Amino acid sequence: MTWLPSAGVRKALLIVLLALASAGCSMGDDGVEATASAGEQPAACPAAWKPGWQKLADDVGTRVYCPSWMPSPIDAEIGGQWNSDGVAVGKDRSYLAGFLWHEAGSGDVHVNFRGYPGKTAVPRCVEMQSSGGQTRRRSVPCFSDPRGTREVGGKTVTVYTVSRDADQWHVTYTWTENGSLYAVSEHVAPPLTFRQVLKNLDRIVGGLEGIEPKA
Amino acid sequence: MKLTRKELLGGAAAGALGAAGIYKLVDELAESPPRAEAGELREEQYLLSGMKVITHEDVEVVEPPLHHQVVTGRLAVEARRDLREAQQVLEDALAAIEARYEPSPAGLAVTVAWGLPYFRRVVSEPAEQHVPVDRRASTSADRPVSALQDAQRFPSDPETTILEANDVVFLLRSDEREHVADAARSLFADTDGLFDLTSIRKGFQGGGFSGGPGLPKSMATAAGIQGADLIPEGSQLFLGFTSTQRDTQGQSRIASFETLGLVDVRDGYFRGGTHMHLSHLFENVEAWYLDFDYRGRVDTTFRPGFEAREGAQTLPQAPEDAASEADLKGDFSRTGAIGHSGSIQPTSRLQMDIKGADGETYARGSAIPLRADFNTLDNPFFWTSDPERDRHSEQPDAGLHFITFNPSSDDFRRNRLAMDGVLPDGTELPLEARSRAQGLNSVLRTTHRQNFLVPPRSRRSFPLVELVR
Repeated sequence: MTWLPSAGVRKALLIVLLALASAGCSMGDDGVEATASAGEQPAACPAAWKPGWQKLADDVGTRVYCPSWMPSPIDAEIGGQWNSDGVAVGKDRSYLAGFLWHEAGSGDVHVNFRGYPGKTAVPRCVEMQSSGGQTRRRSVPCFSDPRGTREVGGKTVTVYTVSRDADQWHVTYTWTENGSLYAVSEHVAPPLTFRQVLKNLDRIVGGLEGIEPKA
Repeated sequence: MKLTRKELLGGAAAGALGAAGIYKLVDELAESPPRAEAGELREEQYLLSGMKVITHEDVEVVEPPLHHQVVTGRLAVEARRDLREAQQVLEDALAAIEARYEPSPAGLAVTVAWGLPYFRRVVSEPAEQHVPVDRRASTSADRPVSALQDAQRFPSDPETTILEANDVVFLLRSDEREHVADAARSLFADTDGLFDLTSIRKGFQGGGFSGGPGLPKSMATAAGIQGADLIPEGSQLFLGFTSTQRDTQGQSRIASFETLGLVDVRDGYFRGGTHMHLSHLFENVEAWYLDFDYRGRVDTTFRPGFEAREGAQTLPQAPEDAASEADLKGDFSRTGAIGHSGSIQPTSRLQMDIKGADGETYARGSAIPLRADFNTLDNPFFWTSDPERDRHSEQPDAGLHFITFNPSSDDFRRNRLAMDGVLPDGTELPLEARSRAQGLNSVLRTTHRQNFLVPPRSRRSFPLVELVR
């Protein structure tokens, strides 16, 4: 006798197959596909990148996170080829280190690292809307539309799918540690899809090395 | 034997009529909802009987059929004698389908409508006398204005929007794909030689109210649509909100030509008929979910500041809450933006109680248009006779085949203009085309438009041909 699955079982099987269409995937608690962080990546911030991140930690007086891996073609050398403007540090010691590759017609790869020393709340951004020759400004969360949390590299990160300012059109992972909020985001733009960005962020955040300020 | 281009096209179209393509998945991913028994065939061929109304998130929602197919064409016959014979052939073919399927989503519904090229070229003389006249538009223009007008590009449409010139359109709707495929195949086999098909458009609607990821998310995921992962589970449409709330759909015969008195049906030849607008638009799903957070999506889909529980998909659109023109201006003055529903309501909802020609009283705030739109992965069509003109691609893309029944072209035009901030009193809210302030329009791109006249069932086959001298 041949076993024929019922319509309901066929439907369930198909949904599972669709969800597993990309290899090596598991589901996070938010239903957004998660990937296991790469096991073979080096655990440490590369030596060439470390001085810049060490200086940043010293400047802001708190722990910062240096990645051990970045998506091709960019790296995370502060002041290097992909970060010619260095790091923007605010009066409140919050910082933004952005790394960007852009090629007209091909797209871009853009990763931002942020830290908000002494603050754990999602920061506010100003959204501007122009119509009829008038520009209106309103305060909005810099990261919104949380899609749940996931465990990555020992951190419980919140995934936000709407981001503002320099993180516009980025997916952002945030986590809090020692009374500070950290954020890593990547732009969803060709050649990267949303799923690829999630994989990249898993790998970046899964391989961060904390750099403490020197006393 | 060498086939002519026409024969080749005909063969390809015939194959596409019954082909499932990616839409085969709909049957795997969604189950047909139980339906009420179908009643008698109505004279209003655009109305579907046996529709199910469910309550979702405390709002009454009409569950539309799962499968939809639109077929457009041009006449392949022109001679008067041939046309009269064609009228009988088409009617027989439609009657044969009706004999096989009950007129409900569980069975099959076929709606036939005719474009201006048909009325101008084939039946111009009787059309002058019998096509309904739009009273309101005639008053504004100070001359008689037909209820059926050429489609136009609207301020937020790109210049590339194609204004089509089909003679005829067939809309087939059912919960069962095989019913649609069978009816399409037999209809065009039985009427072989009457029509040169110009496009076949397919899609799906709903399937998400019983739990699980829902049809739009599952179908977009299967098709590899950018941003498919971001579509909320269970949503009725790609853009995440339910659009068939009972209160947003024209009830009973409100959309028929004669009901509200907006249109003069003259000698009554087209009494029980209506007007249909058909368009296709692409939806940038990824931009919608990465650029607008939930609050922003509510503001732009409904009204700025519209009350909504975080994550809710089915929001109430009660008649008493319909936005007025003053509300719309207030929204714009306060926020610099307008919402989709809010912008349309001053023109799409009744401004007072009206006793219709059908004897029913329609309350102030009732919706006039009856929408029959459905999501699609066509790019832009499932099949076209002119791939170059239509910029056809086999690569699936997220979109909507938009269909709405209004009493006239002008009534639809008023609603669509309001969506772009052009109000009935002449006020033009200074919104930049497809800007964020236009909300939903910023992620939509219309590719094709056309208006049609939907005759009553008894006059659906080659209307007015019997009056051609």
